[in-house]
Amino acid sequence: MTQPALIEEFTERAEGLSASVAPAPDLAAAVEYAVKLTLEMGGTTLAAPGWEGDDLAAIEAACASAGLELFSSDLRAVADNIFCGFTQADWGIAETGTLVIDSRSEDLRLATMLAEVHVAVLLRGNLRPNQEALHDEMDALFKKGPAYLAFISGPSRTGDIEMVLTLGAHGPRQVHVMLLEDAS
Amino acid sequence: MKTTPSDLKQYRAQLKDALGNEFLGKTLETFTDIICQRRDTCFENMDFAALAAEVGRMKDAALPRLMELYAQFKEQAEAAGAQVHFAATAAEANRIIAGIAEQASVKKIVKSKSMTSEETFLNPHLEGEGFKVVETDLGEWIIQLRGEGPSHMIAPAIHLSRQEVAELFNRVIGGDRDPDDIAGLVQVAREQLRQEYLSADMGISGVNFAIADSGTMGLVTNEGNARLVTTLPRVHVALAGLDKLVPDLDTALKIVRILPRNGAGQIISNYVTWIRGANECATGPEGKKEIHFVFLDNGRLALAADPVFGEALRCIRCGHCANVCPIYDKVGGHNYGHVYIGAIGLILTYFYHGRENARALVKNCLNCQACKANCAASIDLPRLIKKTAGLILDQEPRRPAKNQLLAHVLKNRKLFHFILRNAYLAQKPLAKGDKVIRHLPSFFGPEHGFRSLPVVARRPLRERWPALVTAEASPRHRVALFGGCLIDFVYPEQAEALVGLVKGRGVQLDYPLAQTCCGLPAQMMCEEDTAREVARQNLGALDPAKYDYILTLCASCGSHLKENLPKLLAGDPGLAAKARQMADKVIDFSSFMNDVLGVEPTQGETGPKLAYHAPCHLCRGLDVHRAPRDLIQAAGYDYAPYADEEVCCGFGGSYSLEFPEMSAAILGHKLDQVEATGAEILVSDCPGCVLQLSGGLDQRDSPIEVLHIAEALARAGLKPAPDKS
Repeated sequence: MTQPALIEEFTERAEGLSASVAPAPDLAAAVEYAVKLTLEMGGTTLAAPGWEGDDLAAIEAACASAGLELFSSDLRAVADNIFCGFTQADWGIAETGTLVIDSRSEDLRLATMLAEVHVAVLLRGNLRPNQEALHDEMDALFKKGPAYLAFISGPSRTGDIEMVLTLGAHGPRQVHVMLLEDAS
Repeated sequence: MKTTPSDLKQYRAQLKDALGNEFLGKTLETFTDIICQRRDTCFENMDFAALAAEVGRMKDAALPRLMELYAQFKEQAEAAGAQVHFAATAAEANRIIAGIAEQASVKKIVKSKSMTSEETFLNPHLEGEGFKVVETDLGEWIIQLRGEGPSHMIAPAIHLSRQEVAELFNRVIGGDRDPDDIAGLVQVAREQLRQEYLSADMGISGVNFAIADSGTMGLVTNEGNARLVTTLPRVHVALAGLDKLVPDLDTALKIVRILPRNGAGQIISNYVTWIRGANECATGPEGKKEIHFVFLDNGRLALAADPVFGEALRCIRCGHCANVCPIYDKVGGHNYGHVYIGAIGLILTYFYHGRENARALVKNCLNCQACKANCAASIDLPRLIKKTAGLILDQEPRRPAKNQLLAHVLKNRKLFHFILRNAYLAQKPLAKGDKVIRHLPSFFGPEHGFRSLPVVARRPLRERWPALVTAEASPRHRVALFGGCLIDFVYPEQAEALVGLVKGRGVQLDYPLAQTCCGLPAQMMCEEDTAREVARQNLGALDPAKYDYILTLCASCGSHLKENLPKLLAGDPGLAAKARQMADKVIDFSSFMNDVLGVEPTQGETGPKLAYHAPCHLCRGLDVHRAPRDLIQAAGYDYAPYADEEVCCGFGGSYSLEFPEMSAAILGHKLDQVEATGAEILVSDCPGCVLQLSGGLDQRDSPIEVLHIAEALARAGLKPAPDKS
C-alpha cells in the first residue's frame, strides 16, 4: 500500500471509531493543536510524558504561553488532574484506525488512560496496513523483558446500557491523532 | 451459590416468567438486532467461515499441548518477573488469589471482567475473606450492585433497561437520574470508579489469550477499565482458564481479528492490551508491579483430551452464540445459561457446574444451528449440546418412558408404519371432518394449544406411489425420493406436487418402500443407538450406488442424512463408505429443481404476494440460500422478503412438545413478521416447518395459506427447462 492509501484508510477507520485525525507539518503544529484543544475544552493541564530535549522544550514553551500546567513525569501524583494527554504513538494500523503505543513507561500509560482527551503524534512512515504487519516488531518486544503494549482505537466506549454507544466510559472521551510529516 | 432448576417443570415455569416480562423481551430484541447487524457488517468483505475454521484449527492444535504450553508460558513469564500458579480446581484458584492478596496486605481489589472468576465464584470468596471487591466494567458493576451474575458473556447487564439502571443508581448512590440520559448514567460510573482504581491495592483481570512462547497475556476490551485495573494498583492477578493458552503471537493475532468482530460487531475493540512480566509501577516493590498469573484447570485438561467434547475448549468467549439464538433472544442469559450462557453455556454448565444445573437447561435447544453457523471457532455447538444431554440422560436412574417407546417403535419399521397408518383412525373424531385438529385432547395441556395439528393422511404416499409415477423413456437422472415420515404419512400431497413438476423431464423417480424415518427424531431425543439402527435400515432400503441423487422434500431429513449419517456409521465397516456415498448424493428439492434441472420462468402477470420461511436445516444445515428464492421468483410470485427469514420457526421436532411456551413465542415472532409483509401465501421447504407455521396461523385465524415450495411452484405451473442434451 502507498502512504496516501494508508493515510486514507487509517483516517477513515479512526474517524469511524470517533477519533479525529489531522495532519501536522511539524511537532510545533501538533503541540499547538493540543494546547488549543485543551483551552477550548476548558482544560488547564497537559501531561506529556516521553518527550525529551527540543521537543519537550517546545511543549513547555507552548504550555507556558497558554497558561497550561505541564506534567512530564510522576503522573501518579496528579492522577486526578490530567486533562490532556499528549504522547507519541509508535505505530498506526490502517485497517482498524489503531494507535500502537509501547507503554512500558507507567507515566505514558497514565497519560493515555486518565486524560479526558488524548492527543497522539504519529509519524506517517510508521503506518502499517494491518496488525499482522507488526508481527515481528511485537514478537521482538515480547521476547525481551517486561512489556505493556497498547492498541488504542478511538476513545473509550461502552454499550453496556441497552447497547447505546457512549464515549468516555473510563478512559479518554476524545482521541486525536496528529499525522506528522516524516521529515520533521 | 447460583442454582438452575434441574426439574424441567420448574425450569419451564422460570422460562414462562421470562416470556411474560415485556421489558426484558424488548431490551433483548433491541440488543440482538443491533449486535447481529453490526456483526454482519464487520464480515461483509471477509470470509467468516474460513477465518472461524482457521481459529478452530489453531485452537485444536493447542489443546493436546496445554501442559506443555503452560510450562513454556511459566518459564517466559517468570523470566520477565511474573509469578505463575496452577489451580486444579475452582476452590484452589480462589484460595491462591486470596493468599496473594493477604500476603501483599491488600484491602481493596478492583476487577475488570473475567468470566473465569464468575466460574469460580471468586468475588464471594474474596469478600468472605474480608477483602473489598469492586467490579469496574460498567455492566459488571451494575450487576454487582444488584447482586446478580452476568446475563451475557460480553454484555453482562444487557438484560436491564435504562430505567432499571437509573433506579439502581438512585437507590445506591442517591439522587434522581433521568433514565434517558445514558451518557449521564455512564458518567456516574466513571466518577465513582475512578476513585476506586486510585485507592485499590490489587487489580484482578481476566485473560483473552496467553501466549506461551513469550509469556505475554492479551486483553480485548472497550471501556478502558482493564487498563486501569492492570496499571494503578501495585498488585495484578490475571486469572485464566488453561484453554486460553495459545502457542504464539500468530494465533493471538488471529483471535484479535475475529473476537471483536464476532462478539461485539466491532472491527477492533477500543483497547487491545498486551502485558508481559513485571512492568513499571511506582507504588510496587522496587518500582515494579507484583504480577501473578493463575491458570485454572477445573476439568479442562480432561476435557481437552476428550475426543468429542474437547471441541468445546475452542471457545474464545465472544458470546455470539447467544446473540443469534432464538431462545436467548426471548428469555435472556439468566434463563439461558447457568454461569456461562448461550449455546456454549449449555455444554460448559455440565462440565464446570454439574449435572443438576445442566439437566433441564441442556434440553432447551432447537437444533436450529444458528450458533454453529456463527461460532468464531467453528464449534459444532448443537451437536455437543445434544451429546451433553445424552450424557446426562445416561446418568439418570431410568430413561423416560417416551424415550423407551420411541427407541422400541422406531427400530421396527413395520410397527412404526402400522401405528402411523392407524393414527388416521384415532384422530378422525378429533378432526371433526377438518384437515386440522384445532382443539387438542386435554392430556396435552393448554400450553400446547398455540398451533393446530395436521391430520394424518388417509392414504400415505407409499400407497399412492405406484399409480403416481410412470417410467421415463430415456431418464437423464436416476433419483430416489427419501420421503421422511411427515411427507409419507401427513403431507403426501407435497410429494405429489414434486412428481407433477418433474413429469416428462427425464427424471426417473423411485420411492424405495423399505425406507423408514431418517433417524433425526431419535438423535434429538439422545437415542443415538436407535438413530444408528434406522440409518442402517435406510441404507438397506436404498442403495445410493443405484442413484444419481437422493432427493428430499424435508430439509431436516436431508441435513440429517448428509451430516449425521456418516458420523453415526463412522465405525461401521463397509457401511461407513455407504453412508458417505448416500450423504454425497443427498439433495434438497429446491437445489435439485433450480440447479440440476433448471426452470423456465413463467410468463404473464405477477402472482400473489408470497413470503418465504427458510428451514434451519436448509439454510444452515445444507447451506442453501439462493435456490428457493430464485424458484419463487421464476414462478412469478410477488416475493415479499422480511428480516428474519432464516430464523427458526420454533418447531424443532420434539422441542415444541417439551418447551411449548418457548416454541409458541418463537413462532409468534416469525408469524408477526410474515403477517406484516401482507403475503397471501407462506412457503417453506420442510414439512416440519409447514406443520408449525400452518398450525400457528390456523390458531390465529389468519387467511395466509402455508404451502411446501413444491406445491406453490406446481400451482404456478412452473416447468423445468427442456432437455438440451
